[in-house]
Amino acid sequence: MKVYLLRRLLAVVPVMLVVATVAFVLIHLAPGDPASVIAGPYATQDDITRLHHQLGLDQPLPLQLVKWYGRLLAGDLGDSIFLRRPVSEAIVERLEPTLLLTGWATLIAVLIGIPAGVLSARYHNSALDQSFMALALVGLSVPSFLLGLLMILVFGVWLGWLPVAGYAPLESGVWPNLRSLLMPAVSLGLVQSALIARITRSSMLDVLREQYILASRSKGLGERAVVYKHALKNAIIPTLTVIGITLAILIGGAVVIETVFNIPGLGRLIISAVLRRDYPVIQGVVLLIAVAYTLVNLLVDLAYLTLDPRIRYR
Amino acid sequence: MTTKALTVLALLASLVSAPATTAQETPRAGGVIKAAMIGEPPSLDLHWTTAVIVQQITWHIYETLYTYDKSFSPIPMLAEGHSVADGGRRYTITLRKGVKFHNGKEMTSADVVPSLQRWGKMGTSGKLLWKRVEVVEARDPYTVVIHLKEPSGSLLYGLAEPNNAAAIYPREVMAAAGDGQIKEFIGTGPYRFVEHKADRHIKLARFKDYAARPEPAHGWGGKRIAHADEILFIPVPDVAVRLAGVETGEYHFGQNIKQDQHERLKRNPALEAGVVKPYGWITAVPNHKQGIMTNKKVRQAFLAALDMDPIMAAGVGNKAFYRLDGALFYPEQGLAHSQSGVTGYNQKSRERARALLKEAGYKGEPVRWITTKEYDWMYNTALVARQQMEEAGFKVDLQVLDWATLVQRRNKPELFDIFSTGFTLRADPALATAIQCNWPGWWCLEEKERLLGEMLREGDPRKRRAMIERLQGIFYDDVGRVKLGDYFLMDVTRKELRGFRASPFLTFWNVWLAR
Repeated sequence: MKVYLLRRLLAVVPVMLVVATVAFVLIHLAPGDPASVIAGPYATQDDITRLHHQLGLDQPLPLQLVKWYGRLLAGDLGDSIFLRRPVSEAIVERLEPTLLLTGWATLIAVLIGIPAGVLSARYHNSALDQSFMALALVGLSVPSFLLGLLMILVFGVWLGWLPVAGYAPLESGVWPNLRSLLMPAVSLGLVQSALIARITRSSMLDVLREQYILASRSKGLGERAVVYKHALKNAIIPTLTVIGITLAILIGGAVVIETVFNIPGLGRLIISAVLRRDYPVIQGVVLLIAVAYTLVNLLVDLAYLTLDPRIRYR
Repeated sequence: MTTKALTVLALLASLVSAPATTAQETPRAGGVIKAAMIGEPPSLDLHWTTAVIVQQITWHIYETLYTYDKSFSPIPMLAEGHSVADGGRRYTITLRKGVKFHNGKEMTSADVVPSLQRWGKMGTSGKLLWKRVEVVEARDPYTVVIHLKEPSGSLLYGLAEPNNAAAIYPREVMAAAGDGQIKEFIGTGPYRFVEHKADRHIKLARFKDYAARPEPAHGWGGKRIAHADEILFIPVPDVAVRLAGVETGEYHFGQNIKQDQHERLKRNPALEAGVVKPYGWITAVPNHKQGIMTNKKVRQAFLAALDMDPIMAAGVGNKAFYRLDGALFYPEQGLAHSQSGVTGYNQKSRERARALLKEAGYKGEPVRWITTKEYDWMYNTALVARQQMEEAGFKVDLQVLDWATLVQRRNKPELFDIFSTGFTLRADPALATAIQCNWPGWWCLEEKERLLGEMLREGDPRKRRAMIERLQGIFYDDVGRVKLGDYFLMDVTRKELRGFRASPFLTFWNVWLAR
């Protein structure tokens, strides 16, 4: 087990190297450059060239790449061109809203998705099942930003219950923080809950057809115990995978929702960095997201162990 | 108590509680003004960038020697006044005494001289003016002398311009920055810099020791008062969120709201929809350096083909927010506005365009027009103009890019034939980006450069007007740029934000929050 863990953790290194290189090359090959964005619309070519030089962007690309590797090895993600501060600082500052948003959204997705999936499977082909699955289909088809905008209109503008946008950091209190995250978390979570519900339902249906379920029923076990104790524990493995993927998607994918709700998280950071061509920030965030993906996958794999004793890693 | 007395009391109470919207209302000190801005400033160093958002935020912090009055003429700000000698070649500027920087130090010529030198080295219009400056010297702590190689009618305009402004920084701040951007944001303005949390806010607070000018506010000059305790400039890139935020009272001010919302917002008693007028032109810039547009006849055909009303309607959406005017400067700029020489604007003549294309020997080469959806008015105007061009026989390859790519490509003459842009108001005609040669599009013409040189020297507005009329003639004959029309922006404010007026230079001094 320890060997397995070590092997998995070591495997992260080449992944990072590939991600780092690809991110660097792609971004630098894309047209547009930060100097002309900083210099503003009325700047002349001379101004832009001067800025280009001052920012060190006129050095050959391979040299820039090697320099970046060097700093990376020392644990330094470099300085943001636009924000004039270390990238790692900028990222840490944005982690709080993104992690909280992701956490709440995942919680909402799980709390809605799993019960809905289980109930649908238990009452297979009933009106309940059909209405849940119809809702899930709608949920999967509606983009989260649309849901977000609709919620802003109803709960923010018409009813005035919740702030339309912006983020209240934890230090300003738990309640304001929750209020500011409620709508974005719901609009993200609802959409993901649809996916979780569908997966849970289908894997529950498979499990419920297994012989051991028949055996438990025939030995006179109550339906509740059959479904929740015996079936769910086995059916949850694919769901767990989806939750893991959801979590990873949300960390990198809250981009749109953060823009709609004006939340200064990682998503906003990367969007604005791309628009400004703030190379070090883009590279840093892409790397971070890649690390998050890998680690979440590892955690999901480890979670299988506790759920299914048949699984062994060597 | 009698009924009469009760009525009087009730009346008095209603007077106290009713929001006083009369002009005589006494400004109230206190509160935090929350302004929803379109994005983040790329820098907080005014000498570094021409981005308009930087000017809008930072000129609450920094001030300039001169500023503009209501009709966009330069008036003293940090300067007390000046005298001109030596046939217009020597400007002796006296500084106001007792003006303090936010770090507590008094502003003197020891700060002003290096500030002007730095701006002359880095600022886009600073560099243009500095070509004519021989030397700047501090005669004494309160006197700065600028020696010019030749007279300049543009010097004071340049010193007053808020965009990429000649801001006065403390000497030590510039010394610490070296060739880079300043790291400490210290000025003499009514508000001082507190903090910048990227993508969250820029916070300014009232500067208690601000030395206001004694005369009443006039244009952007005169007495500036910081009524609010703080201003928060909050980047809110999504326009729908900016508007919703102002509607719910989350923000007091929302920048660049879509003009088609104007009618709806006018009916909301809690809001004020302001027209930013004048603001700028929507423009198609032909490439004079390389490609098909270097052919003057092709450019003339392009101009001849266009029917500006549908183009501007598509770009702006609401008639109250655009104006079909071919003149190079705005009616609001007094003498600089003239219709003389505006010969080719809005011709709507497909036949003439076809004839000109034939004369030019145009063989259907695709015209590469680069535009962006990041500013939807650029994309929408280009779309309609393309259709009109194609009806006249052009073949147009409309390339939609993101803004960062567009501003990079427009600097490379081999990559485009036309690009979309907007030119915002420049108070000094001679410094207007729209007519400079060293800017993308490279409209360089011996006769025009000579005229521009004369304009830079000339200070008399009447003589300048005659030059502007000649310039307009050249502009339309040579088709330097294709001006599609004037466009205005819409700012939305809440009614409790008092004293605010929508203007091309956004300001929150002399603005207060009613209870």
